[in-house]
Amino acid sequence: MGSNTAEKALQMLKFLPRVCLANLKPSPGSRTSKKRGRGQHGGDKHGAGNKGSGQRQNYMRLGYETGNNPFYLRFPHEPYYQGHHLRREYPPLSMLDLLKLIEMNRLDASKPIDLVSILNTGLYKIFPDQRQYGVNLTDEGADVFNAKVNIEVQWATEPVIAAIERAGGVITTAYYDQHSLQAMINAKKFFERGVPIPRRMMPPPDAIEYYADPTKRGYLADPEKISEERLVLAQKYGYELPQIEKDPEYEMLTERKDPRQIFYGLHPGWVVNLKDKVILKPQDEELERYYAS
Amino acid sequence: MFSCTIPKLRIIFPTARSLSSLASPSQIEPRQLAFPPKYQQPRQVWLENFDTIEEKKLAILELHPEVFAANPRVDIIHDNVRWQSLYRYVSYAHTKSRFEVRGGGRKPWPQKGLGRARHGSIRSPLFRGGGVIHGPKSPNPHFYMLPFYTRIHGLTATLSIKLAQDDLHVITDLEIPTDDPNFVEELVKSRKWGPSVLFVDESDIMPRNITAATDSVKHFNLMPAYGLNVYSMLKHDTLVLTRAALDLIESKLLTHLHKNNSVPNTQKYKLNQV
Repeated sequence: MGSNTAEKALQMLKFLPRVCLANLKPSPGSRTSKKRGRGQHGGDKHGAGNKGSGQRQNYMRLGYETGNNPFYLRFPHEPYYQGHHLRREYPPLSMLDLLKLIEMNRLDASKPIDLVSILNTGLYKIFPDQRQYGVNLTDEGADVFNAKVNIEVQWATEPVIAAIERAGGVITTAYYDQHSLQAMINAKKFFERGVPIPRRMMPPPDAIEYYADPTKRGYLADPEKISEERLVLAQKYGYELPQIEKDPEYEMLTERKDPRQIFYGLHPGWVVNLKDKVILKPQDEELERYYAS
Repeated sequence: MFSCTIPKLRIIFPTARSLSSLASPSQIEPRQLAFPPKYQQPRQVWLENFDTIEEKKLAILELHPEVFAANPRVDIIHDNVRWQSLYRYVSYAHTKSRFEVRGGGRKPWPQKGLGRARHGSIRSPLFRGGGVIHGPKSPNPHFYMLPFYTRIHGLTATLSIKLAQDDLHVITDLEIPTDDPNFVEELVKSRKWGPSVLFVDESDIMPRNITAATDSVKHFNLMPAYGLNVYSMLKHDTLVLTRAALDLIESKLLTHLHKNNSVPNTQKYKLNQV
């Protein structure tokens, strides 16, 4: 962009011979010859070092220390890693990142923000098949967070909740199962598949406590208790709780998904046809009963 | 004696000259640059006519500096040219190893007692007619994919160089009054283009006359905008864009330079990549 070097180079090119196929060159030093000399010029070790295990390319198994007590066996059992391969992961997104996304217009704060809109920025990724279950909103940048948002994340700590609510926003923690997440990671691709939107499953037993907890702003918690807890948190952190009821964006701030719903405005069982721009809804009674919340 | 032949020196204001030579400036609307440049001045190019042999300058067009005044990275251009010549090249050079050459299973002479060097096979690489060690094997494809933005910057660098070296011309369209090759040859000669010229139009369906006129001339080539590439631009001395092609190329390149969802393009190359 606008660099002086580009200008100078273009000025010089006016008086230089025409750039053509015959006078191109790569950057000096960027290419090295792969050829190895023959005979006495070739080197006799073929790049594998001198003698022994290395030269024979006898690679030892991972962690083996040629007879020492290996590092991975040297210490006793570490129980806090037990079941680590089965635990849910929540890849972090800091509040600073979130603020940046909003200020750079990658996220629209005038609408509810959920996992789908965060994923649609292309700047945050999850891999549900690696047991990643959504956003962990971390408190980095909580002090400067000033955006009024209605946000739904999958994991949040107390300072994060306080920072969102101090700015006049609303936060919910919500659980999505594997199938829902697969539909959310690329919503367009999912709609193109032409399958009905699945219904969101309830959280597993070990997560239900978190998502029904009003202090965690869980989506299964009692709304009355949540508004109580909002006041408690405001007193604990010492800020005046902005009144949502008098907010001009009251409608947006109180918009919530159904516990069975994945996309805002779309219900489970619907098929979105992007080509003809129509939504097909189930008519059959049995289907309606199945997809009912 | 010579004083009458030497023209008098005059001060010529470039703006005054340019305006006086304009045929009908009001008819041609100026270009609106997408993503208006913040730090660079737009480049300018003459819009020329193509239906007469003598040149008529119709208007001045503004060009986006991110496309037409980009850093002229000759190394990136070299990468593009190398990739274009290699990605479809398959080497069919083939040699046989000592085990693939016919024969040579028998020990040619006893190990000891003859006073000769010991050998186990007449197809050993030491022998004439023997196998080749580490020789070329066929087919050896040289396909690789150049990174997406190296390809984009290759195009902008080449277009910038072409403009800086006065080898880029913009014409209204490719309509000519006759299908006679002499017309295009005369035109190119009188305007000091070429000798080799690449004409780029917006679509791949070109007007009939230019197609017929350039068909027999091997150094005049027609190309649709979607086929624009670094190698062809450098192979031809002069690049001639129609105005529609100019708009299309600039908008496509600017889109790729400014879009924020470039991740699918920058991922590892796969077949049928979106």
